[in-house]
Amino acid sequence: MSASMRLLVRRAIRLSDTNIQISAAARAAARAAARSSSCRCFSDAAEDRSTHFGFETVPETEKAKRVYKVFENVAQRYDIMNDAMSLGIHRVWKDMLLHAMHPQPGVRLLDVAGGTGDISFRFLEYVRSQQERQRRRAARSMQTPSWQDISNNYSTEDEDGPLESRAVVCDINKEMLKVGKQKADSMGISTGLSWVVGDAEELPFDDDQFDIYTIAFGIRNVTHIDQALREALRVLKPGGRFMCLEFSKVTNPVLARLYDAYSFQMIPVLGEVIAGDWKSYQYLVESIRKFPDQEEFTGMIEDAGFYCVQYRNLTGGVVALHSGFKL
Amino acid sequence: MAALLRGVRAGRALRGLSSVVAAPTATTPQCSSLSRGFHRAAPRLQDDFKSDKPPPSSSSTTFHEHYQAHSAEQDNTATASHEGAAAEQASRPNTSYQDQSGEQGEEYETEEQLQARILTAALEFVPLHGWSMEAIASGAETLGLSSASTGMFNNGAGDLVLHFITQCNSQLTEILAEQHKQVQLGQAESKATADFLRDAVETRLRMYIPYIESWPQAMSILLLPHNIPDSLKHLSTLVDDIWYYAGDRSTDMNWYTKRAALTGIYNTTELVMLQDSSPDFEDTWNFLDNRIQDVVNMASTAKQVQSTGEAVVQGLMGAAFTLKNLTGLNQRR
Repeated sequence: MSASMRLLVRRAIRLSDTNIQISAAARAAARAAARSSSCRCFSDAAEDRSTHFGFETVPETEKAKRVYKVFENVAQRYDIMNDAMSLGIHRVWKDMLLHAMHPQPGVRLLDVAGGTGDISFRFLEYVRSQQERQRRRAARSMQTPSWQDISNNYSTEDEDGPLESRAVVCDINKEMLKVGKQKADSMGISTGLSWVVGDAEELPFDDDQFDIYTIAFGIRNVTHIDQALREALRVLKPGGRFMCLEFSKVTNPVLARLYDAYSFQMIPVLGEVIAGDWKSYQYLVESIRKFPDQEEFTGMIEDAGFYCVQYRNLTGGVVALHSGFKL
Repeated sequence: MAALLRGVRAGRALRGLSSVVAAPTATTPQCSSLSRGFHRAAPRLQDDFKSDKPPPSSSSTTFHEHYQAHSAEQDNTATASHEGAAAEQASRPNTSYQDQSGEQGEEYETEEQLQARILTAALEFVPLHGWSMEAIASGAETLGLSSASTGMFNNGAGDLVLHFITQCNSQLTEILAEQHKQVQLGQAESKATADFLRDAVETRLRMYIPYIESWPQAMSILLLPHNIPDSLKHLSTLVDDIWYYAGDRSTDMNWYTKRAALTGIYNTTELVMLQDSSPDFEDTWNFLDNRIQDVVNMASTAKQVQSTGEAVVQGLMGAAFTLKNLTGLNQRR
């Protein structure tokens, strides 16, 4: 119901051909959408509260729409831009996330703001190669199998069902999911992967569903981060793990200056040249600066109800990997 | 604000209830999702704890009392979860101040205690998976936690092995303390030092017998560079405890020599035990006997050597004096 309201609002905005002036009808619709949307805690004053959109200040209700438009515009060139902007290091960051996760066979992953599916693809590959290794180790230890063992093996080969790991990619933006699905098709991955449209602040899943919840470079775009964290707590099983990969504050001052210069001078230019969109990448860079730093974010995760919250700085603090458990 | 939160929780409870109806595989009572403690751990752990082996460490014995007292509350919450509107009513005592403080004392455990519980549960999977993350994952699953919770253990298998060692050490300390108390009460007689050491080391090494197949893997994990400080610390506290209960109160060089001797005995006996195939490890215990005898003999031999040395020195001095007399160097003119 709320999703359809939001869709109406978006169409109204596109028709009115501006992203600054919202027509009265759209504003009324937006207000109604806000009430029925995920901002349960702040029911009446939602449209009066403002939040940051990069370095701009915008009403909270508008931020989600503008973020949607940003990612809609960049979806086609998202992966190429990632490689160009981070000089390929984003692959290392995502691999380190998987290594820290060390998923056991048979776990269910929810990849929120998963967009083009990078984390999910890596997850499936990791689990499958682990299972391969285990199978090879079992085979090696049974050098001279008896007939009993061989017949058992034949029966267990189809039993991949209970140990099947599944990944669900959830994103609010349909364009990003479309690109991800195309990638999956071209890579030939079909089993164990689902694509779901959903809002991180209001996930379309029941409680206690997933073993691992990841959100890689997505949580800074969420309007109410604490809401998203609470939703993460809700959909995780007891013992489940929350992992968040996000740009953060660089600790080293020299590196910080270089990083700032690179972010503000180079990245929007790259955005214009490669993707034809200066503004979106300006937003991206500004939103990094607006995101709370490592310690503050750790506090937010603990407030949401997670335990054993830790973080690890990657590349000197450019990216931080936060992890918490639902115990 | 609290009312809003309660409203939110009610909403969640109702949604949760619908999912309980839809998915009857959910085992935890939905009411537990309302309170933030380890409330949901209680029903699972009731069963686990009863079937657990004799509680190894003192922290888990305190748990036993907590969860006994908790069974009444568990029934309360279990019945509450099956009623719709009444769920809020029945759970309100959980959120009221008075009960919350009592509840917090009983049901909240620290993260370390939960980790200890997971590792203890993981020990029964060691014969199957070895000392590895898979064993910890299986242990977590028996406690009803997702296998993703193994991420809490940064040291992986090392955490499991060190936890086991700590558990064995505390078990041994309890046994020795109990024996000591018996002696103090006069219900048993005190043993000779050699016998005491032999019995203590044998008791301690017998704790490895269920895991003896995979023990070489555990020893290799303990020898990894980042585990060496911890494993040495555990070994030294073990040896110190045994000597303390053996009655050693020395404050001189003997303190070091005694502990060094016992460390050597313990390590070598452990290695012998790894490749011992005799029934009930008889060869190992014989080896242990012989090593302890060696140390005892060494002590008396040392004394003998010292007194012999003194005697020899005196003899030589006498001979030199006689020679001096004979050659006339000793005369005073």
